[in-house]
Amino acid sequence: MALQLLILALLLFAVPLLVGGIFTDVDKSVGQLPLRWVSGQFCLWACFQLICVPFVLWSGNFVPMLYLFLGCSLALAALGAARSIAGWRKKKASGAVIPVFRRKPGRAEALLWTLFAAVLLFQLVQAVRMTYTDGDDAYYVAISTTVANDELMYRKLPYTGYSTELDARHGLAPFPVWIACLAKLSGMEAVSVAHLVLPVVLIAFAYGVFYLLGRTLLPAWGGKFPLYLIFTELLVLFGNYSIYTSESFLIARSRQGKAALSGIVIPFLFYLLLLWLKRLERQEKLPGVFYLLLLSANITSCLCSTLGGVLLCMLAGITGLFGAVSYRRWRQLVPMGLCCLPCVGYAVLYLFLN
Amino acid sequence: MPVAAGRDELHLLDSGGFMWRDAVELFRNFMGTGMIVIWFLLAVIYLFINEKRKYVRILFVYMPVTLLLLYFNPLFAKLLFEILGDEIYYRLLWLLPITPVIAYSGISVCWKVKEGKGRRAAGALALGMAAVIVFSGSFVYSNPFFYRADNKYHMPDSVVHICDAIIVPGREVMAAFPPEFVQFVRQYSPLVCMPYGRETIVERWGFESEIYELITAEEIDLEALNRAVLEERCHYVILQSSRRVKGNFADYKWELFCEMDGYSVYRTEYPLITEW
Repeated sequence: MALQLLILALLLFAVPLLVGGIFTDVDKSVGQLPLRWVSGQFCLWACFQLICVPFVLWSGNFVPMLYLFLGCSLALAALGAARSIAGWRKKKASGAVIPVFRRKPGRAEALLWTLFAAVLLFQLVQAVRMTYTDGDDAYYVAISTTVANDELMYRKLPYTGYSTELDARHGLAPFPVWIACLAKLSGMEAVSVAHLVLPVVLIAFAYGVFYLLGRTLLPAWGGKFPLYLIFTELLVLFGNYSIYTSESFLIARSRQGKAALSGIVIPFLFYLLLLWLKRLERQEKLPGVFYLLLLSANITSCLCSTLGGVLLCMLAGITGLFGAVSYRRWRQLVPMGLCCLPCVGYAVLYLFLN
Repeated sequence: MPVAAGRDELHLLDSGGFMWRDAVELFRNFMGTGMIVIWFLLAVIYLFINEKRKYVRILFVYMPVTLLLLYFNPLFAKLLFEILGDEIYYRLLWLLPITPVIAYSGISVCWKVKEGKGRRAAGALALGMAAVIVFSGSFVYSNPFFYRADNKYHMPDSVVHICDAIIVPGREVMAAFPPEFVQFVRQYSPLVCMPYGRETIVERWGFESEIYELITAEEIDLEALNRAVLEERCHYVILQSSRRVKGNFADYKWELFCEMDGYSVYRTEYPLITEW
């Protein structure tokens, strides 16, 4: 099990951190470690979606898809590492790895950071200790388990195991196949990856996204920022006011694509849009990799749920229009619209196949 | 008014009204107790009045308000209901930045107080806000569907034990489980197939299974169940040990394979190939 966990740590932390080297120019005001981890993982998810869906629709073969994805991940990691090394050589890399440790926080601030870390640790421990019974797992986790075993994607009914024709509706959002990849590469059972490992990783990841969002909202260091994160934690922990909330989904159903969509992808788009609007206001030029990251977020939404693309396009569309009108920067809508095109493409494919 | 409307207009109003009612119902379900959503709306109003940065106002004020207007728009609702279906229309509400807006406006209020009345007052206010969040919301882990995991698979022990007992490495076995097991079995093992799955248990989906009907009957008719499981090529049938059964297992060549965790696992007559 230790070796399996080590491999998963490499796949879910080390590789995304390396890939994240591509995106360090996106936002130099936030901590490099969270930005690298989050952006790297989004890039890998988008890459996975682009590789997996054609295989699902074409042959359903899992193993060639897995090797192709692994190859692309390693290539992206190498590219990210090369960019990082080049950046460090030119002393371009800005900020410490975790900038909060660059300065000595005051007593109150240190106390707030400790409290934040304690509440986060509580959630991660609970993710291991507790389990949540959700009927949808009978579909999604069973797909992961079946794919990891049969090496064939969406050709079996996950509920019963009977063979079936291609399930195109779910096959266009193959988040469970990504879990099967992690299981196959690590050697851990898919059910354990889904129920034990992913909740820990994805809950921590969601706070990485909230961290990025918070740093953009509250650029000055001080007690404000950890307090914001503590409020966020409380709102997530006490977000079970109905079973439909994104907070409830994040904690209870982290292994499902729709939980990743609501708890991670949508907040990440809030961060990207905030960054986009901020740059528009300051009339600063956005680096090209920003749009690559926006594109990755949009494609990831399609990986998580067939509805994801529609939601993200709506969010980007409404915010983009307000931004363009407010700052009179209509041309900025063009790259924003181009980044939404894959979502439109998947939506058309969905309507065509169903 | 519908009375004054023509036939086509009446239809539009009716369907629009219907969609609007559904959207309101879904919003109510989403809100739960409603307190957190009320805090969110108050936070949006606070930011509308006090927030100076335009980019924050766009994302945290204008976007959510526009989204809510769209959500409650009958024509928009009708369009999306048709594309997405009525069950998932509520997911549009995931686009409301509830958590960041409440957290951020809470911080803004605290820092305003800090500048005016000092650190202690701001600290007390922050504590008060934390308490308000705690009392307005509902603790995620208090949900009755959360329970302590039995094992590293987060599956009930009984599922793991029974599946491990009946699995033949490298082969698939067909087993009829009682409904309480159905959603877990294939999450744990892809080698165990079932004649019916969760699609049968969720009544509104309208799937039917004879085995499910027989296995959930008050008294299990063994003759009928034996015929049905052989038709579905079941190697095993798992029943609660305490279930009332009409008939004798030996008459149908059912062999008690094992008993564990309050369940009896029967091997049926259907041949199981265990060797390659």
